Amino acid sequence: MDSQIKKIHQQLVTKQISCTALVQEKLDLLKENTHNTVNSLLDKIALELAVKVDAKIANGEEIGLLEGIPFGIKDVYMVQGTYTTASSDLLKNYKSAYTATAIQKLLDAGAIPLVKENCDSFGHGSSSENTIFGAVKNALNTELVAGGSSGGSAVNVAKDYTVFSIGGDTGGSIRQPAGYNHIYGLKPTYGRISRYGLMAYASSTDCVGPLAKSIEDIRILLNVMSGKDIKDQTTITSTEIKEDSILNNGKVKTIGYFKNFVNNTSIDPKIKADFLATLEKIKEQGITIKELDFFDSDTLVSTYYTLAMAETASNLSRLDGTNYGNRIEGDNLKDTYAITRSENFSEESKRRIVGGNQVLSQGFSDEIYLKALALRDQISDNFDKDFKEVDIILSPVTPNTPPKIGDSLKDPLAMYLSDAYTVGFSLGQLPTLTVPQGTSTGLQITAAKNQEQTLLKFANFLKETI
Amino acid sequence: MSKIMTVDVLSSIKGAQSSETVNKLFDVIKNAQPNNNNSSNNVNYNCVSLNDLREDVVMESSALEKKIIIENFPKEKNGYLVVAKVIED
Repeated sequence: MDSQIKKIHQQLVTKQISCTALVQEKLDLLKENTHNTVNSLLDKIALELAVKVDAKIANGEEIGLLEGIPFGIKDVYMVQGTYTTASSDLLKNYKSAYTATAIQKLLDAGAIPLVKENCDSFGHGSSSENTIFGAVKNALNTELVAGGSSGGSAVNVAKDYTVFSIGGDTGGSIRQPAGYNHIYGLKPTYGRISRYGLMAYASSTDCVGPLAKSIEDIRILLNVMSGKDIKDQTTITSTEIKEDSILNNGKVKTIGYFKNFVNNTSIDPKIKADFLATLEKIKEQGITIKELDFFDSDTLVSTYYTLAMAETASNLSRLDGTNYGNRIEGDNLKDTYAITRSENFSEESKRRIVGGNQVLSQGFSDEIYLKALALRDQISDNFDKDFKEVDIILSPVTPNTPPKIGDSLKDPLAMYLSDAYTVGFSLGQLPTLTVPQGTSTGLQITAAKNQEQTLLKFANFLKETI
Repeated sequence: MSKIMTVDVLSSIKGAQSSETVNKLFDVIKNAQPNNNNSSNNVNYNCVSLNDLREDVVMESSALEKKIIIENFPKEKNGYLVVAKVIED
């Protein structure tokens, strides 16, 4: 599909549609939708902004490419004055006092925020069922999960309720729902987009990224949101990716894939067959395919969850109901903390917080936490070695098709293991794009750090090739 | 106070216990053989160089920001936050 942003921009400029009508249409779709994608609608502000865009066009003023383009925001981003619930009881009445940097950049470019989108509570989940707003239903089959944690964002884009949405990806939370709902979703290099104003889950892998229906829209949004930010000192400098620089594949000569991802019994046979067939098609184009060795799924998932739980236990320790949040009074301060947290966190969030405190506590940290850090170093070293041999690593997004709603909550281990193909790239802090091609849950394209241009270029090549 | 703190106390979650599912993940790590047991953290440089530290600046919050912060107080009296009763133990 071609750029939706450019198409709508053209329709606005040539007055084929008014921005107000466009925004109203999308708001109506969101309001009526039965996929549980909406935590709160930003209808008042959206319509006010739309009127301003229409006035500008009527006055013959030039508008920017993103001006008047309606978009969605995962409900873990601060947007001043809006409810930011993280789909949790604890923050169900919490209002953002400030706006996240990435979102502010989009607002500055004139994009119009429509909706705070349903997701797993605090990003804790891979199915968007761990939420107080009801499980998000898959865009293609409402009996199946939408994926997660950015499930509401992926479904809104897939159903055209938003032109694009901004998700968050800690261990696959953009890429996996993008795959489950057949759209594009990018986890950029760690630090390329500021995390300021994104509610922290695991700070060392948290990434801000776009979900959209075209590669070109992903490029446009990445350029707008990227850049160093004084409010997030882990941000890195990056250069703008030009449109013509990603159009043809002149650079990618060798791609690699992890043979243990496909040569095991836990992958769905159809996904495996489709993935191998895709490799063959790529080979026919004269590209060399290399088998790569990698860590087994159990090690990847366990390393990721050990570190993510440790980080989330620390990050969420601030949520005690003192300054904000749904405080439940107890006999004294400590009792108040404990009741507030016990009553307001979901079972999944509690499981992760307790696990995190367990590995960080004395007696466990050497045996588990520090060892997981050492494994992470080894995983990252492995990637460095791989990218000396290949330009791109290609992998399926998930080993299996989306589960039925209700199944993941019954079997959390199965849910954790469903992240086997996404978490490794998070630990490596590498840019990875889900494309809706190749297998029924898409493909992941991964490049070396800061090589988003190569990644988008290869995505365009795949679009033409398979 | 006892020096041994259980996970429910550490987590401030009443009745919290370690999860069997999560322990299975930890067992994988316990049994793993990394080639270097001490992370040197030498792969992902996320720390900020001393030359790149920002200046300390005091930034006044906007009136709207202050208003929303007060609105978020779980308990408020005359514009001030009311905290739970503190008992030293």
